[in-house]
Amino acid sequence: MKGSIIKYERDNIDTDVILPGPYLKIHDYAELAKHAMEGLDKDFHKRVKPGDFIVAGKNFGCGSSREHAPIALSYSGVKAVLALSFARIFYRNAVDGAFLLPIEIDESAYHDISDGDSLEVDISKNEIKNLTKNKVYKMKPFPELIGKIIEAGGLFNYKP
Amino acid sequence: MSKTLFEKIWDSHIVVDEDGRSLLYVDRHLIHEVTSPQAFDGLRLNARKVRRPDLTFATMDHNVPTSDRSLPILDQTSSVQIKALERNCKEFGITLFDIHSPNQGIVHVIGPELGITLPGTTIVCGDSHTSTHGAFGSLAFGIGTSDVEHVLATQCIMMEKPKTFEIKIQGKRKNPHAVTAKDIIMSIIRKIGTAGGTGTVIEYRGDTISELTMEQRMTICNMSIEAGARAGLIAPDEKTYQYLKGRKYTPNNYDELVNDWRDNLKTDSGAKFDKSFTLSAENIAPQVSWGTNPAMTDDVTGSIPFPDEYGKGNPEEVKGATKALQYMDLKPGTPIVNIVIDRVFIGSCTNARLGDLIEASKVVQGKKVSSKVRAMVVPGSQLVKKNAEEMGLDKIFKDAGFEWRESGCSMCLGMNPDILAAGERCASTSNRNFEGRQGSGGRTHLVSPVMAAAAAINGHFVDVRELDLN
Ligand code: SF4
Repeated sequence: MKGSIIKYERDNIDTDVILPGPYLKIHDYAELAKHAMEGLDKDFHKRVKPGDFIVAGKNFGCGSSREHAPIALSYSGVKAVLALSFARIFYRNAVDGAFLLPIEIDESAYHDISDGDSLEVDISKNEIKNLTKNKVYKMKPFPELIGKIIEAGGLFNYKP
Repeated sequence: MSKTLFEKIWDSHIVVDEDGRSLLYVDRHLIHEVTSPQAFDGLRLNARKVRRPDLTFATMDHNVPTSDRSLPILDQTSSVQIKALERNCKEFGITLFDIHSPNQGIVHVIGPELGITLPGTTIVCGDSHTSTHGAFGSLAFGIGTSDVEHVLATQCIMMEKPKTFEIKIQGKRKNPHAVTAKDIIMSIIRKIGTAGGTGTVIEYRGDTISELTMEQRMTICNMSIEAGARAGLIAPDEKTYQYLKGRKYTPNNYDELVNDWRDNLKTDSGAKFDKSFTLSAENIAPQVSWGTNPAMTDDVTGSIPFPDEYGKGNPEEVKGATKALQYMDLKPGTPIVNIVIDRVFIGSCTNARLGDLIEASKVVQGKKVSSKVRAMVVPGSQLVKKNAEEMGLDKIFKDAGFEWRESGCSMCLGMNPDILAAGERCASTSNRNFEGRQGSGGRTHLVSPVMAAAAAINGHFVDVRELDLN
């Protein structure tokens, strides 16, 4: 999985900025995507390209249980969020609906990766290659169950 | 073996348990109009039924108008969502408290109020503040729409077992009318942080908790999610059993159940928690949030912090506070009581129950809302509204210049027309002060109902300990 980075050097990026409340009424996912990250970055939908990754700080996705948050990111093309940590419900929604990969990275990777860097993520090796800087970082491996659900393509496709 | 309350409820709901994951049985599933439509679409697509429509209850709360309900809903997209819920409940045989029902209200207000929430049960809802129901000793998780669909289809939820976190609150508050449950939970979040409870189920314990009313306990458990916890719990006691007696859906064999709960629903002495935190209630002051997450909070007697001081050398925290102050348009060093407000919102699943409105009305009685402030009260449910009106609270608020609305989430999340304009500053009894939460560009200060009421009258924050609230 290859993509370039949109970086927000911020902790606690909450679901209200990822997908502001007024848009929870929208059912069309492509339409939702136009409002992704609007609370934080009005230009996000112009900037984001299919396959991009977001890099952010601690507790990404805190707040509401709205699945609209990972859906909006997913339909705007974001394939993974690389963060220092995630809020639980966002993490779970992202995995269950197979919307995007929530990948935990460590402080050194977080500080090293810059906006616009080109990255390659290999979850089979738990490895992230920074193609721009020619460096390799470790990602935190997915817990076993999460790994299986991701492999199956979401909760509904997963058969224990 | 000694067990915590959480472990007892967890263990008694396991359907399958393998490799660290558990399939748990769900006793009650609450749904609302915003996070359920796609779940029902999914069921239809796969020709699945709702497994236990009798254990599923629906209400409409997030985007319903709080103005005159005899009028049609003007917002087309809201109207579509509301109609979809009506259609889905009818098709799948689910009890719905619709916009005209006397039992309509915010999902976390009506669950307990109708006796749907019971001790020792598991409850899920497509809403993060499901933690509220933990006040009754029920294990209650907020879930997303994929999980809503999964629970509708199977009445089970798959989870990895959370860790346990004991939060002990001890001692007497000096002025319990001025220092409320909201101030207790905000003090806790301020100290442990917005990720302090990550991966855990919190059990709130201690004599301060025992003294709280059921409504106040709900305020505490409600904001567990703001500390990042999966759920919050309080062991049930006689107050709990009394509260639930004779409600609409309280089971017929209630007395029998209570006997069983009395024996079992507590943490055994000697049971171990993975983590523990203790707070003394004696010196808690009324709290006011100044930033853009609930941990950015200070005593009403405090002042806006300097980001360097607040961050204590952690560059990310310093940056976070700097950005928050920019957004909030506040200068470091400003005394909190000097912050002038434009709007007041008394409402939400945190603080819109009868007790909250009674306490706030004491501040308001015989006074007038500041001419510079627009203030509103949005009762948590139609039942709260009715009871409040029977006590004449609506009159007290209206005479003072408050708007008195129909029940719903309203300005807590700004999905309906009740929103802040950009730049407006609001004293709000809700639970989230995130950027734009109450309207794009709006600025939220989280406070208790008495603090919000006093701010409405004075046009700025005041220390409610100085008022006579008895
Ligand atoms: S009142 Fe606010 S926090 Fe509570 S359920 Fe409604 S939107 Fe969510």
